[in-house]
Amino acid sequence: MAQRRLSACVDLFALQSAFLVLTAALVAFLTGNHHIYIAAALTGVIKVVIIPRVLKKVIERLNVKRELVMNVNVPAGLLICGALVMLAFFITQPIIPLGFLLTRDSLAIALAIVLIGFFTMIARQKAVTQLVGFLVMENGLFLGATAATYGMPLIVELGVFFDVLIAALIAGIYTNRLQDAFDNVDTNHLTTLKE
Amino acid sequence: MTMIAILVLLIAPLLAGGLSLIVHRSALLHAINLTSMSLLVGAEVMITRTVLKDGPFTALGQLVYLDALSVFILFIIGAVGLACSFYMRSYMDDQVARGVIAPTRLNLFFFLFHMFLLAMVIATVANSVGVQWVAIEATTLATTFLIAFWRRRESLEAGWKYLILCSVGISLALFGVVLTYYSSLHVLGDVSEALNVTQLLPVADQLNPHVLKLAFIFILVGYGTKVGLVPMHSWLPEAYTEAPAPVAAMLAGVLEIVAVYAILRMKMIVDHAVSPAFTGGLLALLGFASFVTAAFFILIQHNYKRLFAYSSIEHMGIAMIGFGVGGPLGAFGGLFHLLNHAFAKSMAFFAAGNIHRRFHTVEIGQVQGLALAQPWTAMALMIAGLALSALPPFASFASEVQIVTALAAQGVPGQWLSNSGGMVTVAFSNQFTSLSLTGLFLLCSVLAFSGLLYRITSMVWGTPPEGIVRGEAWTLGHLPIIVLAAALVGFGFFLPQPIRQLLEEATRIILVH
Repeated sequence: MAQRRLSACVDLFALQSAFLVLTAALVAFLTGNHHIYIAAALTGVIKVVIIPRVLKKVIERLNVKRELVMNVNVPAGLLICGALVMLAFFITQPIIPLGFLLTRDSLAIALAIVLIGFFTMIARQKAVTQLVGFLVMENGLFLGATAATYGMPLIVELGVFFDVLIAALIAGIYTNRLQDAFDNVDTNHLTTLKE
Repeated sequence: MTMIAILVLLIAPLLAGGLSLIVHRSALLHAINLTSMSLLVGAEVMITRTVLKDGPFTALGQLVYLDALSVFILFIIGAVGLACSFYMRSYMDDQVARGVIAPTRLNLFFFLFHMFLLAMVIATVANSVGVQWVAIEATTLATTFLIAFWRRRESLEAGWKYLILCSVGISLALFGVVLTYYSSLHVLGDVSEALNVTQLLPVADQLNPHVLKLAFIFILVGYGTKVGLVPMHSWLPEAYTEAPAPVAAMLAGVLEIVAVYAILRMKMIVDHAVSPAFTGGLLALLGFASFVTAAFFILIQHNYKRLFAYSSIEHMGIAMIGFGVGGPLGAFGGLFHLLNHAFAKSMAFFAAGNIHRRFHTVEIGQVQGLALAQPWTAMALMIAGLALSALPPFASFASEVQIVTALAAQGVPGQWLSNSGGMVTVAFSNQFTSLSLTGLFLLCSVLAFSGLLYRITSMVWGTPPEGIVRGEAWTLGHLPIIVLAAALVGFGFFLPQPIRQLLEEATRIILVH
């Protein structure tokens, strides 16, 4: 949240995804559910390798290194993130004891990650950081799906990965096109269509 | 036989999409499109007959589930899709001829169109809530490019906004699906069928109500973004204005309805576990928020495409109020309203497309004398406008009356009411709120009606500006306009037996306890 350098944001996202792969692999190992291994491997390939690479390329092409203007300043942003984490624990409090799985507590963490991703999308102005916020949301969802429920049915998981990949590619192409049309991918400039 | 029909339903758009990528002649592209759409409609008719005769069934190893509700949605997809295909025949050719679209990009357009259609069909027939989510997300990805197809500054902007807002919305819906799975896991075990509607419905009353409540809120907000409910609607006016006319017709006529369908499916499950008062209260709340907001925004629009976009938000709000109030009348009215809105709104966007091609502006103030310049389009615009304002004898009048009657009779179900005070206060406040809400409903309908008709009549009458060609040649694109207009008037007087039966069965499915 506090990071201004765009490439560092992407690196952090890759790191988070790598931890996600470890979690998923751990769940797969502990429960013996083989289809989670597949999901973990896919996460590794798509979110640790492909998507960060696409994003880096976009950043390079756009030639934007730092995000100078943020809608919310860093200390306030961090405070809000802390509040969001507490909110996530508060919301999931009544339903966590229902789970009989050993990783059930991570449902709260998953919701927290989703909310933080959401907040990042609101607080940042660059198209690339908004995209990273979206991907962080997806990571939170994936954590919720694997850790709290031992993975969704495989067919759904595959579909989700496919969608995330396509979404990232589309957004990548899009930022390129936006660049051509606006010179600078600052979503604040996207204000022609106001009420 | 039905098996083949289901396969046709899934394979026709896929094959057509694939073929569109390799074919380059525009006549052939249209032929493929029309053939595939006709096959789709034919398959739907067969499935409808089976469902009406034998009731709901699953196919393809539990992957596909079809009942009267999903068949009804398929019917709307097919009808509007076919109308769009006919309209595109003249619209796209004209765009290519005027050099707006490079001929080489035409096959990309058709490819995306077919993928969009395929995703919507999958979302409708899927048994698993998870697969349905994947398909709805796929519609977002396909339509992003369709919305930005003109590659102008504004259309890129609209496309980006649509992509970001709908992706976020749909991620929240995924969290809802995860929570649903979390709750069904305890009852059904960790099996891949634990997200299937056919498995969830029978055991729904054993699922944990707290988890499902949370799941429903996430899913309602998520898919509600796609429907364009206030306050998640801000992408919608831009996307509808910038999208090519047939795409806008598909977005308004079909995509919104598929998202409503996904919400209804979830509502049925949650209703068993919690109570219809919980889901109904939320739906009615969002419905009223959309209806009231849109009614005021309709008054201040000076861009006719945005006018229709806000009218979409308004009508989806009305349908949501119908489902939220519930009861046989409310649910029937809601479904019927979806159908009427799909027909009227696609017609309105066809007319808007024609106007834009002649006048080259979206400003209402610069369009005058449509009745002289484009008599057919003017007629279509008037009929669509009257139907969208829900005047008799149009079918939308009937459905709106059904909804408002249900609202006045039953009031809005709400759990928050029963928490405050004793029984007497509840009864009183219930009656009071239902009366005031009915009043609000009628007031907003009048606002929307006057706003819409005032703008439309100002476009139809008068003399055309200098330099605008008068007269309109008959093209294939006028055929769907005539058919849709006939259906809109006709359904108000008399609902054909199969459609009536379909609607009644679907209402029973939504209400079953």
